[in-house]
Amino acid sequence: MKLRRRQRERLSLWLQYLAFVAVIAVVVLAADWGRLREAFFRVDIIESMFPTVITVALRNTILYTLGAFAFGLVFGTILALMRLSRVAPYRWVATAYIELFRGLPALLVLFLVGYGIPIAFPEREIPGGVFGSISIGLGLTAAAYMAETIRAGIQAVPKGQMEAARTLGMSHFTAMRTIVIPQAFRIVIPPLTNELILLTKDSSLAYVLGVTAQTIEVTKFGRDTLNDRVNATPLLVAGLTYLIITLPLSQLVRRLELRYAKAR
Amino acid sequence: MKVRSAVRRTGLVVAIAALAMSAGCAKKEQGEVQADGVKLVEKGKLTVCTHLPYAPFQSKDASGKVIGFDVELMDLVAKDLGVEQTIIDTPFEGIKSGQDLNAGKCDAAAAGMTITEERKKVMDFSAPYFDATQALLVKTGKPYKSLDDLKGKKLGVQAATTGRDYAKKYADEKGLQLVEFEDLAAEQQALANGQIEAAINDLPVWTEYIKEHQGGFEVAAEFDTGEQYGFSVKKDGNPELLKKINDALAKAKQDGTYDTIYAKWIGKKPNA
Repeated sequence: MKLRRRQRERLSLWLQYLAFVAVIAVVVLAADWGRLREAFFRVDIIESMFPTVITVALRNTILYTLGAFAFGLVFGTILALMRLSRVAPYRWVATAYIELFRGLPALLVLFLVGYGIPIAFPEREIPGGVFGSISIGLGLTAAAYMAETIRAGIQAVPKGQMEAARTLGMSHFTAMRTIVIPQAFRIVIPPLTNELILLTKDSSLAYVLGVTAQTIEVTKFGRDTLNDRVNATPLLVAGLTYLIITLPLSQLVRRLELRYAKAR
Repeated sequence: MKVRSAVRRTGLVVAIAALAMSAGCAKKEQGEVQADGVKLVEKGKLTVCTHLPYAPFQSKDASGKVIGFDVELMDLVAKDLGVEQTIIDTPFEGIKSGQDLNAGKCDAAAAGMTITEERKKVMDFSAPYFDATQALLVKTGKPYKSLDDLKGKKLGVQAATTGRDYAKKYADEKGLQLVEFEDLAAEQQALANGQIEAAINDLPVWTEYIKEHQGGFEVAAEFDTGEQYGFSVKKDGNPELLKKINDALAKAKQDGTYDTIYAKWIGKKPNA
């Protein structure tokens, strides 16, 4: 029997639906739901985690994320400008830094900041305690990524903008500051927001620094509660707590991208 | 059009592959069941979960081999079973919550682990093999003699340990500021750096640390909490292996092997 093209396409579509349903059915049927619920969904434990999970843990997660983002944004912008600089050594240093820090796991960088700096400067300490250390530790890595994004953004601004500004008598610096960078940032807002989402999750690395009850963040809080209650429910709560931040942010990214696409 | 149908076909292939895979990994490999009913997750191996480093109970030597008090005791069990011991280094939470054993990651846990009522609910413990006390380590010359002297000060603890639970119990009453570290090495480093004023952990661990850092640190206080270490196996999952462990321990205590191992790693003889 020879199928016509339309029929073939229909059949293939149906097969795809079927395969999809079959995969889900296999997973759902094979899982041991009773045990899963006992291990991951104990209502009494969920209740015991509120309100601390929001008032302390989530608050700190947001603080650490913003601290690292601010540090990374400022430092990343400087790096981006250095990479585009006419001064060759600036370009070399920025390129070397970006390659180095994009290649290192954030965990190691955080460890170096948290334990290396106190060893190197025994009489001094990073201001802000855990907040300061994590802002710098994660910020150093984030800056490397953001620098590349911002550089691409600056290069995406049409050359004519800079040329026109220079023709009007602006200095290179003024033209960069008032004409090019503002336009570049509009272009890079969606990818930078993605970086913010990544940082939100990376803030969970704060545990390597050693945290107190006041400086605890969401993941560590979940793991601690797991220890106290000998049950994995807190991990589920911690995961959902992250979604409170990350889902709206990714929605925002989508909106911004859409708006930017329209504006073009 | 051609491109689209090609995309569809790839989609279909991926879906079928996923289905095949989910069906394929539905059954885990069975490992080994020995003649006397002892179940092992991997054939020919006694797989043991621990969290490194925790000298003198388990730590790596210069060549990267895991050695220590627990390791030698578990070696006795492995020898009785006629298999080799392999050691998996995994976060302590997974061990003490029983999840590593439940998930079949290892046959037994030997991690300088205190037997507690909470933990007994999620795993089966062997007979106690070590009496542990908690101790407070400070830098030599610091004026701290007890938890009372640490009011408002930073006290380091290791996550998921009984020392942490002990400190937490008194944290509010004594106004302690607890700082939790992921592992022993980080806790020690923080004390050495001055990020914390004192640190709580099991006494033998500090004794070992002081030995390696002559003159730098001292034990300021000991807290006799009546704790005892035990090995553990999956809850109701492997009574045969548990019996083997208990038999090996009993035999070692009787024929003096235990005393030899104790003297080698802990130092002074156990009070019989």
